[in-house]
Amino acid sequence: MSKLQATNGNDRNGSLRMYGLLFRASVRSRMQYRFNFWFSTLMSAMIAIVEFLMLAVILIKFGHIKGWTIAEAGWLYGVLTLSKAMYRTVASDVHNIESYLVSGDLDALLLRPLPVLLALMSRNVSIRFGEVIQGIGILAFSMSALMQEGRIGWLSVPLTLFVVLCGAVLLFSIGLLTATAGFWLTRIGELQNITEDAARTAAQYPLSIYPRWLRGLLIGVIPVGFANFMPGLFVLRGEAGWWMLSLSAVVSAVLLALALVVWKVGISRYQSTGS
Amino acid sequence: MLFYVLARKTYARNLQYRGAHMLHNLASALFGFIYMSIWTAIAADQTLGEYGAAGIVSYVAFNQCSLWVAAFLNHGLGIEQLVRTGGIALELMRPAHLFYQLMCKEWGQIAYQFVYKFVPIYALYAIVLPMHIPSSLLVWTSTALALMLAAYMSICLNYLIGAAALWTTESRWLYWANYALSMLLSGFLIPIEWLPKPLEAIARYSFYPFLHYVPTRIYLGMESAATLVGSLLWAAALTAVCLGVTGIMRRKVEVQGG
Repeated sequence: MSKLQATNGNDRNGSLRMYGLLFRASVRSRMQYRFNFWFSTLMSAMIAIVEFLMLAVILIKFGHIKGWTIAEAGWLYGVLTLSKAMYRTVASDVHNIESYLVSGDLDALLLRPLPVLLALMSRNVSIRFGEVIQGIGILAFSMSALMQEGRIGWLSVPLTLFVVLCGAVLLFSIGLLTATAGFWLTRIGELQNITEDAARTAAQYPLSIYPRWLRGLLIGVIPVGFANFMPGLFVLRGEAGWWMLSLSAVVSAVLLALALVVWKVGISRYQSTGS
Repeated sequence: MLFYVLARKTYARNLQYRGAHMLHNLASALFGFIYMSIWTAIAADQTLGEYGAAGIVSYVAFNQCSLWVAAFLNHGLGIEQLVRTGGIALELMRPAHLFYQLMCKEWGQIAYQFVYKFVPIYALYAIVLPMHIPSSLLVWTSTALALMLAAYMSICLNYLIGAAALWTTESRWLYWANYALSMLLSGFLIPIEWLPKPLEAIARYSFYPFLHYVPTRIYLGMESAATLVGSLLWAAALTAVCLGVTGIMRRKVEVQGG
């Protein structure tokens, strides 16, 4: 029994080591096209900045949105950007699973000596420098403004880091659940547009601006609100207690566990394409 | 004739995915709803200039619909893939001008998106929102003209983005960069007069406002048909650039692969 457990433990370490190896190989292959890499990094940073500018312009002109200042809204935005960048860096092709399902390319991954999910995650790694730089920049601006006003203290820095990590797990779990739906639906582009793109866009703004049904949807059904807005209520405004951070972490963990279970069921149902 | 054949083929190809596109419309309508919520929240404590709380909702709603005509085209008109596969060499050899044939195909795409995306989302908004609906025929005609010119300018822009792939091999990022700039400078979410002065100046001297701001203002009856002169001038200028670039592309083309 103990030997079996030890073997399992070794397997897990081996898988993770393999993931690390494949991850690095994927980065190296991407760096073969150095110009494209830096060009795309520059472009994605610019896109992210312009996106934030849209919100910033409105807040500079009108002062606040439902009581949220530009510094607070910037925090919500920066946290979500960093979580998304982390999720998309470590699990790029989970978001792109549709092409594997449509073409049958997933077959090749089934033969690899490591769990299919890790094999998938290690493919086409995209390092999101642009978004990371932009996210950190906006967070630095927002948090220093809030600190000068005496609204938050230094403790908020580790708390923010914790929120970003939980958020990355949460976004990954939502992404994985959506990807897993592909085992039943095959085409999931439209579903992703709702569960990942629209939901995340909505969470870039304070959830209090939305009508009740939409807020309920973003907290209870696609719980992307727990990636920034809900913990933000505690970190930025003290409107909730410490329990809010634990609740956010629990929501992320439960969703991750659920996603992994559903993934197992899904992959056991996988039927390759072909004629 | 070539125009009609190519456009119809693209239209027909899209028809295969009608069901999925209808689901997609829900997501698109939801995006519009997010943007409207931002303005509704702002309007709770202040007046919004000449638009007012109701006007700004119509403004954003109409812009969200017109994305499907004036913004969401095939990335770079598909030139990037042609460069990757080497098909670009063949396309440049055809007796029809590359710009003309790609444009014809794209008009089919736009016609499809108008019928199966613009119209359903517009209908949904007209039902659930207090949407402004013009009563004069002149407004409807000039809005339609403004949208068609916007679509044409967008085709030109995407042609230029695609053409960049001959030098950079991938132009996907340029597409998204153009999209992001357009979101800010075209007045898609924020009417141009509310941008900070330097940004407003950049926007006024660019073609971006003619993609969203001008058609929507005409639709809302805030701008006369005379503004279309600006759209026409920009369309002509962009056409000239596209034709000029094709000349350079012919000399630059190199086939990838081995």
